[in-house]
Amino acid sequence: MTTDLSTDPAAVLADIAGMLRTVGADLGLDDVEITRATTFHDDLELESIDLVVLSGALRSHYGERVNFAEFVGALELDEIIALTVGRLVDHVVASLAAAA
Amino acid sequence: MTERLRTGGITTHAARLGAWHGDGRPLVVFVHGLLTDSLASYYFTLGPAFATAGMDVLMYDLRGHGRTDRPATGYRLEDFVDDLAALLDALGETRPAHVVGNSFGGTVATAFSAWHPARVATVTMIEAEPPVAVWTGHMAEGLADAKTRLARAEAFGWISANYGAHTARLSTVAHRIFESTTLAEDVPASRVIADDLGALTRPLLALFGDESGLAEQVPDLAAKVARCRTVVLPDQGHSVLVERPQETRDLILAWVHEHTLAEAAP
Repeated sequence: MTTDLSTDPAAVLADIAGMLRTVGADLGLDDVEITRATTFHDDLELESIDLVVLSGALRSHYGERVNFAEFVGALELDEIIALTVGRLVDHVVASLAAAA
Repeated sequence: MTERLRTGGITTHAARLGAWHGDGRPLVVFVHGLLTDSLASYYFTLGPAFATAGMDVLMYDLRGHGRTDRPATGYRLEDFVDDLAALLDALGETRPAHVVGNSFGGTVATAFSAWHPARVATVTMIEAEPPVAVWTGHMAEGLADAKTRLARAEAFGWISANYGAHTARLSTVAHRIFESTTLAEDVPASRVIADDLGALTRPLLALFGDESGLAEQVPDLAAKVARCRTVVLPDQGHSVLVERPQETRDLILAWVHEHTLAEAAP
């Protein structure tokens, strides 16, 4: 990946919201507002398999710089259940900054 | 990366980690369990560690599960085994695989080794039984019980109150599979192997939790399977993969390394 990726949190949030709408197209996520406080489990009702698909989308977009599987793998089950979009945005921003 | 591949009559959702250059690296295939499970159970646990260790990792959603197709019928063990063979064919894969399965996935892995021994390097069962007659009895009992309990709509409220919303959500997924497929009837009608386990010719690693009851098979497995290693984790029930991921990872990594070196030796 050679594209210039923004590390601006608002831009990353918009990117991830776009990916979530694609991942959740058949789950009826089109109309759901996605903010930093949105939780994957309770608000979006994503199952763990949906997180795998999101992981693939993140990899396509950000390449090697963002390792979502490793990020989620380090979390406890209750942390995964409580995971918010904002926490993922922060992880992506930090990963992109570290790789820059 | 995740991908959808045509496997026989269905489309299978799979995820691969590792280099996949086909240059003699070990191939490890992970098979998940029934109903509330998907490839995610490995994607976020064992998968990345095996890729980091230099192995090619293949994870996939079983038919009826995750994002693989859910046909209304065709849920006998032999259907799941055919799907795995078709998946390896679809990837053009000819390396004998180290097949690792959790719970029902362990039975699929063991059956695959019995019916396709040339495609298997080693088998690992995590909290599982080989596909013998007594296993079909256990599955008939367990599935009928789960189906009945989930069929009572009020059970979801009860599950939610007693085990939390997360477990209730998983139960909804299981209920949906029972309602739309013949899985509960098909699995107990599966093809089996003879009780002498003579069909299990590939090296077998069997992991158990000492509190689950399945560990009672250890003497029988050790006596009947020529190249068998059994490990029983103390103070542990059925959820070995979820609750003891580090030990599980280290035991299987060491096992695969050992057998890769043995194969490479002149």
